[in-house]
Amino acid sequence: MNRRKFLTFMGTAGVVSALGTAKVAKAGVETFPYYDNGYGVLHDMTRCIGCRKCEEGCNKANKLPAPEKPFSDLSVLDKRRRTTPTAWTVVNKWDMGEGKFAFRKQQCFHCNDPACASACFTKCYQKQPNGAVIYDGSQCVGCRYCMVACPFYVPSFEYGEPFDPVIKKCTFCFDRLKEGKLPGCVESCTMDALTFGRRKDLIKIARKRIEAEPEKYLDYVYGEHDAGGTAWMVLMPKPKDLPQCSTGNAAEAKDAAKRAGLDTTLGNQPMAEYTYGALGAVPMIIAFWPVLFGGAYGMTKRREAIAKANLAKATAEEKQKVMDAVVKVIEKEQGAEAAEKARQQMNEALAEADAPKTDGEAN
Amino acid sequence: MRNGKALLKQTAMAAACTFCLIIWGAGPGQASELEATDSGAPSAKVMFPVSAKATAPVASMKPVLFNHLIHEKAVEKCETCHHTGDPAACSDCHSAEGKEEGKFITLEKAMHAKNIAVREDGKTPSSCVSCHEQQTAKRECAGCHSTISPSYDAAWCSTCHNVNVTPQQMADGANGRLSEAANLAVATKTVQETKRAASPATLGPAKAIIDAIANEYEPCVFNHKRHMASLMENIKDSKLAAAFHTQPETLCATCHHHSPLSLTPPKCVSCHPVAIDRMQPARPQLKAAYHLQCMGCHKGMDVKRPVNTSCTSCHKAKAPAAEAPAEAAEK
Amino acid sequence: MSHQVTIPTKDHLFNMKEFFKFTPGNIINYTLLAIGLVVTWVRFTQGIGAVSNLDDYQPWGMWIGFDLLCGVCLAAGGYFTTVACYVMGMKQYHSAARPAVLTAFLGYAFVVVALLYDLGHPLRLPYMFFFPGTTSVLFEVGLCVATYLTVLFVEWSICPCEWLGKKWPVLLKWRHWVEKCGILLTIMGVCLSTLHQSSLGSLFLICPGKLHPLWYSPFLPMFFFVTSMIAGSSMVVFEGMLAHKARSTHAMMDEKHLTNSDNVTLSFSKAASFILFSYFCLRVIDMLSHGNFHYLFSGYGLWWLIEMGFFVLTPCLLYAKGSREENVGLCQFASCIAVAGIIVNRFTICMIAFNYDLPSSDRYFPSLPEIMVSVFVVTMIVTCYRFIVYHMPVLYEHPDFQEEED
Repeated sequence: MNRRKFLTFMGTAGVVSALGTAKVAKAGVETFPYYDNGYGVLHDMTRCIGCRKCEEGCNKANKLPAPEKPFSDLSVLDKRRRTTPTAWTVVNKWDMGEGKFAFRKQQCFHCNDPACASACFTKCYQKQPNGAVIYDGSQCVGCRYCMVACPFYVPSFEYGEPFDPVIKKCTFCFDRLKEGKLPGCVESCTMDALTFGRRKDLIKIARKRIEAEPEKYLDYVYGEHDAGGTAWMVLMPKPKDLPQCSTGNAAEAKDAAKRAGLDTTLGNQPMAEYTYGALGAVPMIIAFWPVLFGGAYGMTKRREAIAKANLAKATAEEKQKVMDAVVKVIEKEQGAEAAEKARQQMNEALAEADAPKTDGEAN
Repeated sequence: MRNGKALLKQTAMAAACTFCLIIWGAGPGQASELEATDSGAPSAKVMFPVSAKATAPVASMKPVLFNHLIHEKAVEKCETCHHTGDPAACSDCHSAEGKEEGKFITLEKAMHAKNIAVREDGKTPSSCVSCHEQQTAKRECAGCHSTISPSYDAAWCSTCHNVNVTPQQMADGANGRLSEAANLAVATKTVQETKRAASPATLGPAKAIIDAIANEYEPCVFNHKRHMASLMENIKDSKLAAAFHTQPETLCATCHHHSPLSLTPPKCVSCHPVAIDRMQPARPQLKAAYHLQCMGCHKGMDVKRPVNTSCTSCHKAKAPAAEAPAEAAEK
Repeated sequence: MSHQVTIPTKDHLFNMKEFFKFTPGNIINYTLLAIGLVVTWVRFTQGIGAVSNLDDYQPWGMWIGFDLLCGVCLAAGGYFTTVACYVMGMKQYHSAARPAVLTAFLGYAFVVVALLYDLGHPLRLPYMFFFPGTTSVLFEVGLCVATYLTVLFVEWSICPCEWLGKKWPVLLKWRHWVEKCGILLTIMGVCLSTLHQSSLGSLFLICPGKLHPLWYSPFLPMFFFVTSMIAGSSMVVFEGMLAHKARSTHAMMDEKHLTNSDNVTLSFSKAASFILFSYFCLRVIDMLSHGNFHYLFSGYGLWWLIEMGFFVLTPCLLYAKGSREENVGLCQFASCIAVAGIIVNRFTICMIAFNYDLPSSDRYFPSLPEIMVSVFVVTMIVTCYRFIVYHMPVLYEHPDFQEEED
């Protein structure tokens, strides 16, 4: 064994063992490429004062067109608003009961396993390792299924644009993050109602805040598990007239969260999982249906063939019977010789009658 | 010096009154007796960790002084504390180990429990601690107490656990053998010896200019003295506050939090970074720290003006020096 | 009622005289087409927002709800009839197969046309083959509809081949091969139909929070498939009725078609009655098993009851009575309700019960131009149907290609 052979051998062994380890490492719980180290933002509604500085920050960071009313005009908060192609984040005022109001910033939640990405049939959406769910409009067909799929009503579509309408939504300031900057809204928040950090750290921070002031917060971190978990999470104030929920209990938190416009009934699995059963049935139908209908066709054909054969047999028998009867009568009246002759003639006539038809069929 | 004058006057008046009261109180009254209660209960009482066990408990905590007189004046009904309706001693039902009469709720629980489950019959008991914490929800207290919570340390415990007893008295008290008279004597001595903390020696700077990060707005001019005076004015009659604000600087610790009590606390920027700290994303940045402190306290005290979103009430809008001509030119 | 069918010959290929007659039908037809063209111009020069009430809350409205969901479902007659006729060997329905395949082909072709209005980037529709998002239900729908449209085109291509075969004999070779592959095409058709009919329902599985619980169900794909069978059988009856009512199309029917048509109507009614009843049971069981009973006592509950009672159970019973008493008129009446029921169901899922939790100010109602586009598409289908029926052997058997009687 010379040196090269030895090295080749070792190299192969290395590759094989590496493959082996890769397999072992992959084994375990199957998840969507969920990036454990991704960033997120914790929105603490108890801190938010509804100053709209985040909207202004977003507008500047993303160079969006100036809004109709300036950002200092807080009267827009009186009406419920949603994200639009030119406003990727909006703050809404929510009635938390007993005359208490709270503000919540709405933007893309950047789900761990985004419904929009699973719904897009041309792969425009991608979950990035840094936590952002970004959209590339260059291959967008404009079907808007992502908007149907999004449980948070986030993506918005440029209905007014005739030639290149695409989806617009919060990008988590993907390019700013790459430069080491904070998202525009987070940077401009005056109250640190938006806390930027690694998602896993944010969950701990949220838990600590709830623990420190259990009367102030609803004991529920919205987005920790909702819709499979989101990178942006929300801490809600506990309405005074509702009981505290048990930690993270979506059913008990439902009413309180609804006052802040959040839906805790989405479930803990990614939205896409609701469709996996239906999609999983596709190969089965493709495999099974042709067999089923092919079989039905085969049975039909066979039934027809049998029916045809039976019919032919019955006809022949009938003919024979009639002939026998006729021959018998002739035999009785004219004798055996005449009967034999008549039979022969009748057979010939029948064969002649059948012949052209068979010919025709052959043609 | 508008406020200064008023304050001087107030201080002088307070001093005069105190002087008169001392003269008046010291004259006829005897130093060894407390004012009598309306209900006839002892004016003050030492509460021992009563135990059913024969051996005396080797308790590290000092027993608690309960000033029945003050509490009787502070609450509306006896049932607030005597939740069964029967004016019995707490330790009749709640012993150190728990008894059947008290549904095996230990004395420690009965005195300290927070988050007490609401009873269906409406007779929800309250412990010392739970009732005291409820008091901090009052408007004059809520400013500070909504933004910070006390550190439950030795000083906090010893606010109540403050009776000096001999081992023999401790053993007798724990076994329930200490006579009522002896108990009252110890209690009276403790009441008279307990000193309450004085007011802070200074109200700090008259005006503090907060300009560390001023860019969009003019620096904020914060009237430190007025805020301090107002806080002190609010709680000057509160015996509870006087008891628990154990140091003169306790009041400072609402805003100058998380650092050792001092009249010269460190600046906010020492801990709160101007930009987010990667290692501590949860720590408020400087701008947010200011806003959270001011607005948190104002919200707690239900201060109506200025509203949170009125930026220029606290820091004036910067005079548009450079931008104005440019804008005008655009128009 | 014997009459002569005008069959185009080699020298006289076109039979356009019906289109130039000054009849109310033609006038309405051309008016709607003209309006549609104007709206089309506005749509493709000013954007979707200029003609529709679609918004960010309601990305799918009339165009998807009617043109796509109803269009595909109502074109289910194609697979339903061909399976009955060729796979199950019910030769007596042979005369119904060709019209059914034709309407299916037209239905699907114009679903794609209508889709072009709805898509932001209509020209990028083929991108789904280049960047396949395989996790998407819409991808499955797109792939199946595209394939099935091809299959339908091949199945239907027999008709133009027979029409033009005399002029270009090469077409006869193509026809020969298509005939040979008939059963293969039929089975492919039923597979693809099962897949995309059901996956139109699967489209809404991803938004349990938006669709009202009375309509949202994990079995949505199954409901869509079962309703497509209802639509398949009902549309054969319904279209048959319309074709007989219209004088010009009636004139194109041969003796065989006319004698068989009542038989076809009664048999398909019987089938529809059974399927409707099983569908009714499925929906009721689904409602009960998901604990949605309490929703029945709300506005949406009333709507559900109307849907199930009037649009499912009523046609079911009428079909049963009609087919039992051989009352063709009753069956045709039932088919009208059943077809309306399909449309009601699709509208409910796509628009009425969708976003049920939003305040009414954020809800959607289609705009007039939006409806006009849908009307335009239907008018185009009718026009194409007439053109094909006037020229190609759909309602009659071409004398050159008589089916061999066994």
